Amino acid sequence: MRVLLFGMIAEKAGATEVEVTAPSTRALKRELEQHIPGLERMSYALAVDRRVVNDDVPLTGTEEIALLPPFAGG
Amino acid sequence: MNEEKPHRKRDIFVEGAIPASFIAESIAKHATRTDIGGHEIFLGQVRADQQPGTENQQRTVAIEYTAYRDMANEQMTVIREEAFARWPQMTCLHVHHSQGVIKAGELCFMVFASAPHRQEAREAVAFVTDEVKKRLPIFGKEILSDDSHLWKHNS
Repeated sequence: MRVLLFGMIAEKAGATEVEVTAPSTRALKRELEQHIPGLERMSYALAVDRRVVNDDVPLTGTEEIALLPPFAGG
Repeated sequence: MNEEKPHRKRDIFVEGAIPASFIAESIAKHATRTDIGGHEIFLGQVRADQQPGTENQQRTVAIEYTAYRDMANEQMTVIREEAFARWPQMTCLHVHHSQGVIKAGELCFMVFASAPHRQEAREAVAFVTDEVKKRLPIFGKEILSDDSHLWKHNS
């Protein structure tokens, strides 16, 4: 599945999106932490279909996933 | 104004800084709405912060804003609906945020509410300004005077 990356996470990854396969958000985070240096030490939220998800939820692979570093609008 | 009622998809993002002339034009557009008795406007400006942790006390010279645009616009629709539910007398609400590089001293954010009486407009602008900062996935890369950068985050 396609995972959108933003801000300092995109900078660390050197990409604005990555392709990863995972059955759930928890597994996805673990997978992404292997790919993106320093991610496990960063503060970020995970959005599934443009909503922040805090619990572990199953993924079918059709969702729009995004990793969101701290917000800085305004 | 009808086009400012909730439930419509809209894009709050503008490329580059918000010009003062855009704000003047926004005010002028409300002249036909004679039921309005007051406007309240918040304008965010990029501040040349001194960066204490940096070598030679670097200053912020610009912020490069990026956003998860679809999610930000969806979140803005939710905030807008909350604001109209809390201040039903409000006539209209306009929110714009910059994308791209905005220099210190330039405007990057506008929240503009109009209502028959000042209280609703004031309260709605304070609420919407705070909620946008908290809830919209907008990211800011602070570009410093030595060309290094930091990532801004709202407290």
